[in-house]
Amino acid sequence: MKYDQYDLIITGTGFASTFFLKKYLEKNKGKKKILVLERGQFFPHAERLKIKRGEISNFKGIQEHWEDTVVNKNQEKKWPFTTGFGGSSSCWWGCTPRFMPSDFQMNTLFGIEKDWPVSYTDLEPYYEETEKLMSVSGPDETPFPRNGKYPLPPHRFTAVDHLMHQTYGNQYISQPTARASRAVNGRNACMANSTCDVCPVNAKFTIENSGMDVYADQQVEIIYGAQVFSLETRGNLAKKVNYVKDGKDYEIAGEIIVLGANPIFNSNILLNSGDNNPLTGKGFGEQLGMQVLIYLDQMKNIGGSTWVNANGYMLYDGVHRKDFAACLIETNNAPYYIRLERGKWLNMASFRMIFEDLPMESNYITNSPDKLVPVINFNGRSDYTRRGIENMKNKLPGLLSCLPVEKLKYLDPFPNEGHILGGTRMGHDAKDSVVDKHLIHHQYRNVFVLGSGAFTTFSASNPTLTLAALSLYTADHSF
Amino acid sequence: MNRRKFVALAGVGSGLLIFPSILYLSSPSLRKYAGELIKEEFHYLKLAPGGVEQYIEDYFNASANNMLTNLKWKSYYYLGIKAENSNQIFELVKYYLLSTDFFIHRMDESRIVNYLGLYSPYKSPVPNPYSFVLYPEI
Repeated sequence: MKYDQYDLIITGTGFASTFFLKKYLEKNKGKKKILVLERGQFFPHAERLKIKRGEISNFKGIQEHWEDTVVNKNQEKKWPFTTGFGGSSSCWWGCTPRFMPSDFQMNTLFGIEKDWPVSYTDLEPYYEETEKLMSVSGPDETPFPRNGKYPLPPHRFTAVDHLMHQTYGNQYISQPTARASRAVNGRNACMANSTCDVCPVNAKFTIENSGMDVYADQQVEIIYGAQVFSLETRGNLAKKVNYVKDGKDYEIAGEIIVLGANPIFNSNILLNSGDNNPLTGKGFGEQLGMQVLIYLDQMKNIGGSTWVNANGYMLYDGVHRKDFAACLIETNNAPYYIRLERGKWLNMASFRMIFEDLPMESNYITNSPDKLVPVINFNGRSDYTRRGIENMKNKLPGLLSCLPVEKLKYLDPFPNEGHILGGTRMGHDAKDSVVDKHLIHHQYRNVFVLGSGAFTTFSASNPTLTLAALSLYTADHSF
Repeated sequence: MNRRKFVALAGVGSGLLIFPSILYLSSPSLRKYAGELIKEEFHYLKLAPGGVEQYIEDYFNASANNMLTNLKWKSYYYLGIKAENSNQIFELVKYYLLSTDFFIHRMDESRIVNYLGLYSPYKSPVPNPYSFVLYPEI
């Protein structure tokens, strides 16, 4: 370590940390001492590919398994995540729809939960900047307001998508995605392999292939294998960051401290630090996803060019959100959903239905006697979400009337959606939240708590674009 | 009682009782029942000789290879269970088709179907069968 004290200490190297650091470096032209503490290692994409192919790699075994890092009280509910350089960018599937404007105003519009302290309008320029940094592919018309074209053209529709788009217009669009539709910035074009956690052709945006190079900046020092577990606080400030490396405890002083771990570990760090806000760790959860298989008569669902070919918003917005959850439709281009009946092998569409859930106090993170290991207490879904599922089942046959549907088959909800949310939610003051609109902790005024843990409500849309845009927004408004 | 049901009751049933389990562990020939299921399912296709057998070897070598697996596939065959009634048979048969050049040839039933190696998006020469790679004109 170069210094005894740093101007900025950042925990983690995922989306939240990286986009924050990107903006911070732009805004601070003078020389700064910046320390990044990453709990995992640099595990290159090329080596991940070797392991997927069954080839020899010196990196085999380097990846922590998520279940070894937490105590998960509810074994039916899974919370997979990836640690190491790039965080969840090394396992995400690259879906980047924006939130709808209504997602930020759930109380005002529907009397549900609380409004976010930031609006869609506040975030709009940062959405656009994030989409440029990720080289997002997307259509000209979207159900959310947007200026100009996406950086890359949209992915190709399937035969089913064409019919749905003709019927529903901008309520059914080619999905905005960080899976490139054209080769760009060292990334290849998506080949619809539909196994995006480790992309076989390196088409999806990751921190590693981003070209953002924030960790190569001369001002930045990065330490791998350093797991932050608490902050040393004094009054309304955090003074030091405590971490473990190679089994030994360390501390380092910092002026500004940024927590960019995932929501589970951000909560754990605050709870280990003596944060006595009763909301810290509370309102934790994620969206619910379930698959619907659509058996088609005399129609092949062919021609798509990526994993999620389209998004449908027909069940998303509206006054129904006073009573039940919004649902975002993802149409999956999944090779493993073929049929075996003669002549009907590809007469199948598979829709993933994603429902918002509510941030309930009964779902929460606690710390444990082992300072490195948080406890996930998840006690179930909301009735709001369950009613959303029932509404979807009632409405979907009608919505699909433009297609030659033989039958629908609803699969059981997935044990995880891969979108971990809440625990350090944002709001106006410590009575209703953990952090403010700039993601600064209400009590510890030099601590930023980034990421989707800060989401006031959960939306039905994939969270990554929004959490990255929030990082740009907060760094831009704070320095 | 037809032959299948008879064999199911008299053959598999007694086999389970009479043969010591080690025979099932060491008998690769039992995998043939899984192969028969595939050939029956695709009786209308021209499957290249030896392709199904190689697929079965690869499939079981890549997944569980134990007594219960062998018994399961033998039972499926003799009990006349079809892919539509069993998820495990469905998976076996489905991955066979994905592991051939059937989709590369746009499901042309008149062509010989060749096994190309176990389907894997990381190694397989077979693209996503739905994708623009095979249907660029859509």
